[in-house]
Amino acid sequence: MSKRRRLALIFSAFVGIASAMLPLHVDAQKTERGKVIGTKLMCMCGCGQILRECNHINCPSSGPMIKEVDQHVASGEADDLIIQDFIQEYGEKVLSAPPSTGFNSLAWYIPGAAFTLGLGIVLVIIRMWRQRDVHRLASASAAPIPLATLDSEVKSVQLERARQQADKETEE
Amino acid sequence: MDLFGSYALLLAFALAIYAIAGGVAAIITRRPLLIKSARNAGFAVCALIWLAFGSLVYLFFTDNFAMAYVAEHSNRNLGNLYKFSALWSGQQGSLLFWSFLLSIYVFSALFSYRGKHPELMPYVGVVLASVQLFFLTLNNFVASPFAVLALPGAGGVLHLASQADGHGLNPLLQYPEMVIHPPVLYSGYTGFTIPFAFAMAALIGRYPGEKWIHLTRKWTMIAWCFQSAGILLGAHWAYAVLGWGGYWAWDPVENASLMPWLTGTAFLHSVMMQEKRGMMRVWNVWLVFTTFLLVIFGTFLTRSGVVSSVHAFAQSSIGKWFVGFLIIIISACLIAFLKNRDYLRSDNQLDSMISRESSFLFNNLILLVACVAVLSGTLFPVLSEAIRGTKISVGPPFFNRVNLPIAMFLLFLTGVGPLLAWRKTSMESLRRNFGWPLLAGAIAAVVAVAFGLREFYVTLCLMLSAFVTFTVFSEFYRGARVISARAGSNLFSSAAQLAMRNTRRYGGYVIHFGMVLVFIGISGTAFNQDKQMDMSPGSVMAIGPYTLHLQNFDSDQQANYSSERATIDVDKGGKSVMMLYPQRRFYPSNEESGTMVAISSTLKEDLYVVYAGHSPDTNLPVIHAYLNPLVKWIWLGGLVVVLGTILALLPNRQAVMVMSPSTERSPVLGGDGRQPARASISARSQLPKDNV
Repeated sequence: MSKRRRLALIFSAFVGIASAMLPLHVDAQKTERGKVIGTKLMCMCGCGQILRECNHINCPSSGPMIKEVDQHVASGEADDLIIQDFIQEYGEKVLSAPPSTGFNSLAWYIPGAAFTLGLGIVLVIIRMWRQRDVHRLASASAAPIPLATLDSEVKSVQLERARQQADKETEE
Repeated sequence: MDLFGSYALLLAFALAIYAIAGGVAAIITRRPLLIKSARNAGFAVCALIWLAFGSLVYLFFTDNFAMAYVAEHSNRNLGNLYKFSALWSGQQGSLLFWSFLLSIYVFSALFSYRGKHPELMPYVGVVLASVQLFFLTLNNFVASPFAVLALPGAGGVLHLASQADGHGLNPLLQYPEMVIHPPVLYSGYTGFTIPFAFAMAALIGRYPGEKWIHLTRKWTMIAWCFQSAGILLGAHWAYAVLGWGGYWAWDPVENASLMPWLTGTAFLHSVMMQEKRGMMRVWNVWLVFTTFLLVIFGTFLTRSGVVSSVHAFAQSSIGKWFVGFLIIIISACLIAFLKNRDYLRSDNQLDSMISRESSFLFNNLILLVACVAVLSGTLFPVLSEAIRGTKISVGPPFFNRVNLPIAMFLLFLTGVGPLLAWRKTSMESLRRNFGWPLLAGAIAAVVAVAFGLREFYVTLCLMLSAFVTFTVFSEFYRGARVISARAGSNLFSSAAQLAMRNTRRYGGYVIHFGMVLVFIGISGTAFNQDKQMDMSPGSVMAIGPYTLHLQNFDSDQQANYSSERATIDVDKGGKSVMMLYPQRRFYPSNEESGTMVAISSTLKEDLYVVYAGHSPDTNLPVIHAYLNPLVKWIWLGGLVVVLGTILALLPNRQAVMVMSPSTERSPVLGGDGRQPARASISARSQLPKDNV
């Protein structure tokens, strides 16, 4: 067999295998797309579950809805269009998460706003507490040291030494 | 017996009013006899609630279908175990069960501290009796479980009636876990009443010092432990019974149980700052108040029908009672706080940004943000409907997306917190403490990526899990090594001794490790697979490494239900490894169906098979199989969390001072030239004899 004929055979074999696999691949893609779209929609039977996860026995909604998704996917419609179709049919409540536009975007902003506000408060608190500590140290260094304070300072030095020893013993 | 229960509840209601009035009078007059009388009234309220609960148990076990509640939730063929769990399967019974569990807590608290803390306990008694009074009002006048069955006769006049048999229990509740999940979760909910009562009492009574915090910690931990276990048992029930292949659906009722858990966790951390440094008094009081408010709010969500949920009780008018109670609590908290806020003034100081204190501040921030995220997501559909008139859904995709980064940050802080010292952490200490754990995290991430993991959050979760695990084990290792060197014991027994010497600290570490296991288990969700097929005997379905061969179907008739069962032979690598028997059950008493999922669980993965019914197209049985990796880690993690909490609740094994004769020569001699009798004090821990 000449080199050219061998190459042609390999090429045609490759094309044959690839074309045999293509429908499978497309089917798999359809199923995957259907699954992904199914997670973006809610079952409308009132169970409050995602369409793909509703498994109520004899559920009147999930079966027909999943079929509808599969039909849309099979007809080659884009994901957004399929979802729009469902919104038109069932209303916004068919979406498993609020869209990030208009009033509904508020749902997405609340946790972030809470975090930002909380972080701001925590940072202000930390700053206040640290300033208080600085003021305490400053006033302590400016004032004459009474005997009792000196005594407590000695005690705190001893305490610090004991702490260091305890740290060394438990950590080393 | 029905009258007995009703009268017991009425008497409990009257005595609760007396406990409040008597308690207030005792606080004003300070008369010891009045204090004792109010406390005894509190005991009597508890005893009467127990009697009422006992009488309801009796009515269920004697199949008294003249009682409306029994007729609605039980039937003659129901097993004894489920007759017991039927007690809390409906609105009325579950509210009495709530009162029952609350009364156990109230009795324990009043009994434990009888004759102690005279400045605090009368206030505590009044607050507890007030909460009991609310639930007794519901039990007596709004949702009584002792209502008799009446049917309309001629002219619409109601006549007493009795049924030959009851409607039976909801099939979803006929599962062994349902016998323990609600009591455990309710024990968590009701348990948070005790810290609330102490916080309120300390605030109103201006109880000096941090004593109330010490008293409260134990009760908070007990409630938190029950809440944690209850949430996980609920997740396990949803996983094993509902048959949708998952354990957490961010359902409003699930969220309602998570919110007080989050604020309770925040409190258990921030309370340490008050105990150690006298800081965050205002914050801690409000965390306790918020936790209790969320408990009542969660109960309102479950019972009012304001949000739709598969777990919720039927829609009823009871919601307005809870709204009223919530308004009263919020008002009481605000008034008590505004009147006594100077009592909560504390000298908060922060020596360094890199300290245990600041890590707790961030921990509290993250837990509170998680709570706000869950609360806002749960209530957003109601808000949307109220403002725009359009109902929307807020489902798992929203909650997962919002809470994942928060959970990762929390996991990071779980590892960081224990490595930071109180007041200030030096750079050298940071290097020493963080070096190895960070390296462990980095190695875990590299290994995960090398094995083909490309999911960002899963990789991050595994990295942080390794980091936290390493910090926990290094804490145990360092302490155990010191004990081992001194006592000559092996590292494991030294670690056990170490844990027993500071149960709170090391119990906390065990809890952190349990949470790591839970996080690892949750991360497995990213790799879930599922497949559904219409199958007839001889059909084969492949999922992951398993091949499911459907062998046959059979049916069975039990006293309370009939069932259809599929027999499935499971192959792995061409070898039969197990048989699975998923079932569908039909309960004739209430004409409902249910599934019994077959689960084969290993540490690596769960093979989860559901007999989902018959296909409307082919009329063939539908088998839905799921392959869920790492789920078992969640339940193991939950068990570790509970064990850690129990450890943290145990008293420390104290180091004891042992007097022993000294062998040292004294530098000072006695008058007779001899060494004076002298004893040296040496500290020895109370270790087992073989280790001393």
